[in-house]
Parts: sequence; structure tokens; C-alpha cells
Amino acid sequence: MALISIKNLSIGYQTKGGLLKAVDNISFEIEQGRPLGLVGESGCGKTTIGMTLMGLLPDNARILSGSIDFQNHDLTQLGEDQWRKIRGKDIAMIFQAAMNALNPVMRVDEQVIEAIVTHKPGISPGDLDKRVKELFDLVEIPRIRMKDYPHEYSGGMKQRVIIAMALACNPQLIIADEPTTALDVIVQDQILQEIRSLQMIMDTGLIFISHDIAVVASVCRDICVMYGGQIVEMGTREEVFGTPCHPYTKTLLGSYLSLNNEWKVIIPTMRKAPDLTLKSGCCRFAVNCKICSNAGTSGIPSWINISKTHRALCCSEGIIRKKK
Amino acid sequence: MNMVKNSSLIQMKGVTKEYIPRKWFFSKDQSRVVALNEVDLSIKKGEIFGLVGQSGSGKTTLGRLLVRLEEPTSGSISLKGSLINTLKGPSLKDFRSKVQMIFQDPYQSLNPHLSIAQTIGEPLVVQGIGNTRQRRSKVLHTLEIVGLSPGQDFYDRYPHQLSGGQRQRVAIARAIVLEPEFIVADEPTSMLDATIAIQLFTLLLQIRETFNMTILFITHNLAAANYLCDRIGVIHEGCIVEVNTAKKIIGDPVHPYTKKLIRVQPCFDFNRG
Amino acid sequence: MPIWIRGLPIDVRGRTKGVFMLKNHYVQRFLQSWKIFIENPLGKTGVIILFVFMVMALASFVVPHINPMYDPMIGIDPNISISTGPSLTHWLGTDNVGRDLFAQLLEGAKVAFIVGLSSAFFSIVLGMVIGMISGYAGGTLDTFLMRTADIIMVLPSLVILLILSSLFGQFNIWIIVFIIAIMRWPAVSRVIRSQTLSLKHRPFIEASKVAGASHLRIIFRHIMPNVLPLAFLYMTFRVTSAILVEAALSFLGFGDPSQVSWGMMLQWVWKSGNMFHAPYWLLPPGISISLLTLAFYLLGRAMDEVLDPRLRKEGRA
Repeated sequence: MALISIKNLSIGYQTKGGLLKAVDNISFEIEQGRPLGLVGESGCGKTTIGMTLMGLLPDNARILSGSIDFQNHDLTQLGEDQWRKIRGKDIAMIFQAAMNALNPVMRVDEQVIEAIVTHKPGISPGDLDKRVKELFDLVEIPRIRMKDYPHEYSGGMKQRVIIAMALACNPQLIIADEPTTALDVIVQDQILQEIRSLQMIMDTGLIFISHDIAVVASVCRDICVMYGGQIVEMGTREEVFGTPCHPYTKTLLGSYLSLNNEWKVIIPTMRKAPDLTLKSGCCRFAVNCKICSNAGTSGIPSWINISKTHRALCCSEGIIRKKK
Repeated sequence: MNMVKNSSLIQMKGVTKEYIPRKWFFSKDQSRVVALNEVDLSIKKGEIFGLVGQSGSGKTTLGRLLVRLEEPTSGSISLKGSLINTLKGPSLKDFRSKVQMIFQDPYQSLNPHLSIAQTIGEPLVVQGIGNTRQRRSKVLHTLEIVGLSPGQDFYDRYPHQLSGGQRQRVAIARAIVLEPEFIVADEPTSMLDATIAIQLFTLLLQIRETFNMTILFITHNLAAANYLCDRIGVIHEGCIVEVNTAKKIIGDPVHPYTKKLIRVQPCFDFNRG
Repeated sequence: MPIWIRGLPIDVRGRTKGVFMLKNHYVQRFLQSWKIFIENPLGKTGVIILFVFMVMALASFVVPHINPMYDPMIGIDPNISISTGPSLTHWLGTDNVGRDLFAQLLEGAKVAFIVGLSSAFFSIVLGMVIGMISGYAGGTLDTFLMRTADIIMVLPSLVILLILSSLFGQFNIWIIVFIIAIMRWPAVSRVIRSQTLSLKHRPFIEASKVAGASHLRIIFRHIMPNVLPLAFLYMTFRVTSAILVEAALSFLGFGDPSQVSWGMMLQWVWKSGNMFHAPYWLLPPGISISLLTLAFYLLGRAMDEVLDPRLRKEGRA
């Protein structure tokens, strides 16, 4: 039984240029204790998905179709009142900008307390105190720093507080939206370790959103690669990163620099931004796809199952199978 | 000794940069913020030198000192053996034509009210080079070099009509239009996606080939520095802790901070193929 | 829909739009802003009122040519020697010497525009230049200019004008315009200065510094286009205050006596003792002053929304 399952979800933004489909017909499931990574470049719709799962879509966005099943509710049908009960309690979010997510004029522990009290108004002061200390221990912030103000914290510590606040009510699903992007490599490493170990201890569902494939690979066992609002390839991390099938995944992996892969780097050609106004179901990578421009395919992709867990969304099944 | 002196383009000796916090009436504490502490560095002609460090390490300050956006508190900086600290008037303007900078944020580094042509042509106009027609052809040519082709398509556009990667190409075009000898590239790709970043790296390598430019590449990403640079300097809390060839820095780091940096690089070892 | 040529799609719509926008960047920006502006109910109301007054101001050039007795200053109806109410020949009636009130009202609209726009323009130019220089230069010059601005800002401009005109006799309308401009630049320069301060360290300014651009070039080529919209916004508010100051001055009897204006009309109705029995004389200039200042105020508010997208409602396509 999946913790949350998303089926055929499409989300559009109403803009002056017409309807932009930021998310186009995506389906995936998250199991408890199996972190899922959403990887993609800016504008691929990964943050929109995170926001949808928190019920925080901006006013000009709307869910065009699809369903999100969570605890026998369809989250797409919830009103703001119902969202308020779920948000922070069952589904929590770790935000990107740790500097801005904390209130500068409130002590850090008060902010954590607020996160607890919002959803457990009847909690006794003794329990509350115990819980706050527990949380600070969990994210490894010394107790003497509890009464500090956010500006006295370093970037990494602020991010830890954000994590503590997300964990405050024992949520079943945590959405981490680029939690380490603003941090230095050394701090990033610590926070990633933190997230990994907490995920083991708490055994929650986790969606980890990032543009950095190495960061996602270090946390998540399942990977969804996104491009232009579509999931183009999904599978376990060994499958997706070890034997990538979709041409976009290959491009993405090829342009990733690490300390020992210089010779593997593939320079992508100048690319166009995906056209988000395309009809639903059209391949958005086609404009940049070598296979498509060589073979002149239909532009209507279908899911190609490579293994039980590994699939790719592409127009030319033959080439993908052969390459594999 | 003479050999070394000839081949180095930029020479920094004992350069210190301190910021004095603004004085308030009741503040007792007069502590200075030391951004750079007694830095010695020489960059050879024609090389891409990578300066790697975390935020707050002083790497950006170092870049800004080299293009004289800021002045050092003490120490000397020289370009081809002549001191740049004290340049003024025409000689400063001449120096400006030899040293250029590429900034981090392509959304902030282009004036939204100037067209691409005006932006790239600005250094030519300022330095009084060529007439309108010559400048036009130079700008078009430079657009082609940075991969914005056909140049005519981009010539009259405005920054808001371009993507982040294209804007950064425009910024690079502005930096190379004077064919300077030295370019400071301050984290030019940190705001861009990996697939765009790698294209810009290739562009920088190409530019180095074509114009034999010397480039100081400032970054927090050791892997990018390794990919692009001949030599790497690691900067930590205002001090350059280690300088060596890229291969040696990665393969055989000496300083503990360098070792730590290498250890925490997100690794990615799912052997493909 | 993209058209496919040799396997590469070329978005025709995007291309033509690009070509169209090539040379007309400023026109395009203006039209875009204008659209948001005119869709705004405040802006629309403001523009309509303003249009009516503009027509009135233009009509003031025509009216004296219809019949010399409609000259607002020297045209006297030979048959009338006291103030009369509205009639067919004099739509709003006449004043106590037989001059046509409607002609005076039209002339007043013209004067209000001249006084308002020109003094606002002068104060904006002054405020903008001083603000940019002050913000860009910083240091002692900044301190000096801003302290000067502070001093002028706290001076009561109307009282100063009254004292000056009682010292030097009655002023010509252009001197009044000039003095209003001098008194009103500091607020503008403060706003422009703070905008300049935030622009000063933006990378595109530093980039042109690295290219060797002079300070003047940076100020006028790079900073000015970025503060200009804000300056225009403040100009609309300055217009309002300039019109009010001129009206007050004229009403108190310190205006230019050779020039008809709304304030002057109010001064005459008061001085001739018709204040309480000639509403046809008293009300039109009073209402006109309120409406015109309201129009400029509404314009400013609407412009504020154009300039600050945060005030705009999202999703209004």
C-alpha cells in the first residue's frame, strides 16, 4: 500500500501568454521509508509538484486533472480549511531558503513550539518541553542554543531548525525542496547525512526535490527525472543513473561534473526551452532530441518498460531498447 | 627568477583587504572584518586559474580587487609587472580595457533598459574604439563567438527576452569584446542548470584558445574547477591555503581543508555502460 | 503551433514578435504599461477627468476668437456691469465687471496645467539629478546634499512664498512656478537617492565600471533609465501639490494679477463680496481645483500599480 499515490496529475498556470502546463500528466507513488527523488532543471515543474502536495499553489495555478490519494483522501479536492489540518501535521515541508523561513524576531525554540502547538493545542507544558528538547537533540543542536534568535545561527543550523520544525508533528510525508542548495558543500554534506539518518529513524515518506543529481542520488532510492513538466524516466537510482535510457537523462548525467568523470562529459548542444503550451501528451524534449530529429518520430511518446521498476517516456521504443 | 616573472600575468604580494564596519555612536567594538589576509598569488599568462572556496572565504573580494572594483588595504597587485593599485585617469582607463569581469547572476548583470547590442557595445563606446559601423560588426562577430548565432537575431533584443544561459553568454560577450588579456569570472554558472553550465565551460575554454586569454575562474564547485582549470588555488577564511595544478590538488591534496573539501564533494559512482 | 523545418521547429509567432519588438522596445514597454494602466479603474477615471480638463484648456485658446468679449482678462460684456448668473450668452454667468466666467474657467484650466506640469517637471529634474548624484557619490557630497534637502523639506513652502511675495511685490507666474519647483525637489531626491543606492552595487553598474565608463556615463546612461519611471510617478504627485499651492497663493492675493487662474477667480469672488450670493462664480473654480488634483492623484496611484507589480492582482490576464 503506497503512502501517497499521484495519478495523471496536470497543473497549469494561467498567464498572459495563455495556459502554461507546468506539470503534465504525471503519476508516481511513494512508499513509506523509500525516499523518492525528483530531479530536473529549473522550470521542469518539480517545485510545482512539491507545492501541490502542500496545498500551497499560487492563485493563478490550478489543477487541471488527476488525483492525489493520501490516507483515503483525494488531496486535489480539499478546501483550505482541510488543508490547514493536514499541512504541517501529516505532510510537512523543508524549504529551500532557510534564511527566510524563520521569523527573525522570534526565538528559535518558540518557533518550534509554535509548529507543535498549531496541531496539538491541548499538549501539556511538560510534554511540550520534552518534545522540543527531543527535536533539538534529533537535529543535533545543543540545548544551550535553543533560546537564540535565528540571526545568531549559521546557515546549516538554521536549516536544521527548519528540519526540526518539519518533524515536529511526526509527519507521514516530508517534502524537501532543494534543502541544501543555498548551503556550502561542507554544510550540505552534514545536512544530507542528517536527512538520511533521520529518514532511517523516523521511517517516513520523503520526496526529495533537487536539481543536483548527486545530492538526490545520495538520499533517494527511487528517482524520477523530470523535463518540461513531464516525468521522462523513473526507476531505482542504480537503474536510472547506472543505465539511463531516456536521451534527456543521458544529457543530464553527461553534463554533471564530478571529480572523476571528466572523460565521460558530454557537451549538450544549444537547447531550446521546452514549450509548456504544447498539447498534453506531446513529448516536450522532442525539440532537443537527437533521436527525434534523426528519425522524425510522431512526437507522441509512450511509456517503455525496461525492467519491473525502470521505465522511460519516449517516442522511439526501438532505439531505447537497442541502446540498452 | 626572470623566467617566472615573465610568464606571470598577475602578481599579488601580501594583499590584505579589511572592511571596517560602520561606526555607530554607541558601539564599542571596533573589530575589522578581514576578507583577505596577506595573500600571495601569481597567475600565469594563458592559464585558467581556479579559485575554490566557500561563501565568505574572500574569493569574490579577491576577484574584485583584481579588476579594481575595490582597493586593497595593503599589499601590491601588478599586471605584467606594472602596479595597478595606484592607477588613475587615462592609465586606469587603459587598464580597464585589459581586464574584464563576468558576474555571477546573469539576471542582475545586464541593464534591463539596454539592448543586447548596446550592452555588448558599451565597452567599445566607453573606450572610444571604432565608428558605429565598425562597432556593429564587432558586436555581431562577438555574438557569433559566444554562440548566439545568428547574431542579427539577438542584436536588437533586450535581456528580458533571453534565457539565463543566453544572458550569461551576452555577459561573456561584453567581457571579451575588448579582447582583454585577463578575465575574472566570478561563479559564472552557479545560478544556471548543469546542462547550461557545461556549455558555458566549453565556451570559456574556446575563448581561451582563440584569444589566448588568462582567466581567473572563481567557484565553490571543486569539480567544475577541476574540469576547467590548469591550476587551482584553495581559499579558506581569507588565506590561500594551497595552490597546485588541478591534477595534484584533486589527486594529492596536502592541506587538511582541501582534503575535507574533496571528501564532501557529492560523489556519484554508478558506473555507467 | 511550431512549424517544422528540417526537423527543427521554428516558432513563427515568437520570431515575428521578436522582430516587431526590435526597434520599438520603448514603445512596446509603454504600450504594455499603458494597458495595465488603463485597465485600472483608478487610472481610467483619472485619465477621463484629465482629458476633460485638457479639452477645456485647449478650448481656452479658441474662445476669445469667437467674440472679443469672451477674453477672460480684458473681454467685458458692454451690457453687463454687475455679476449675473448663467445665461445663454454667458454659460456660467459673469463676474462683477462683466467678464465671462466660463472663459475664465477655461483659461484657469490652461494655467493650472502650465503651473502644475512645469513646476512638477522642474522639481523632478532637479530632484532626480541631485538624488542620483547624491546616491552615487556618497560620502561628504551625499551628506551635504541630503542635509540641504532636509532643510528645504521642513520649510513651510506656502509661508515662504507669502513672505517672499510680500517682500518683493507680486510675482510673475513663472517665478511662482520656479519657487514651487525649488521648494518641492527634496522629497523626490530622497526617493531617487535610495533607488540609486540599491542600483549602485548591481552588477550591471559594476560591469560598466570595469569597462571604464565615467561616472557621468554611469549616472545618465545606466542609472537614469532605471529611476525614470519612479520620477514620473512622483511627478504626478508634484503636479497636485503645485496646483494647490498656486491656487492658495492666488486666493490669498499673492498671485500674478495679470493672469487669470482658478485661485485668482476665487480671490475675485471673495474680494468683490460675491462669495455668498454667487455660487455660479464660487463653485466652478473650486470644484475644478479639486477634480484636477484628484485626477493627477488617481493617475499617480494607477502608475504606482504599473511600476510595482506586487500591487497588481495576479492572474489578471
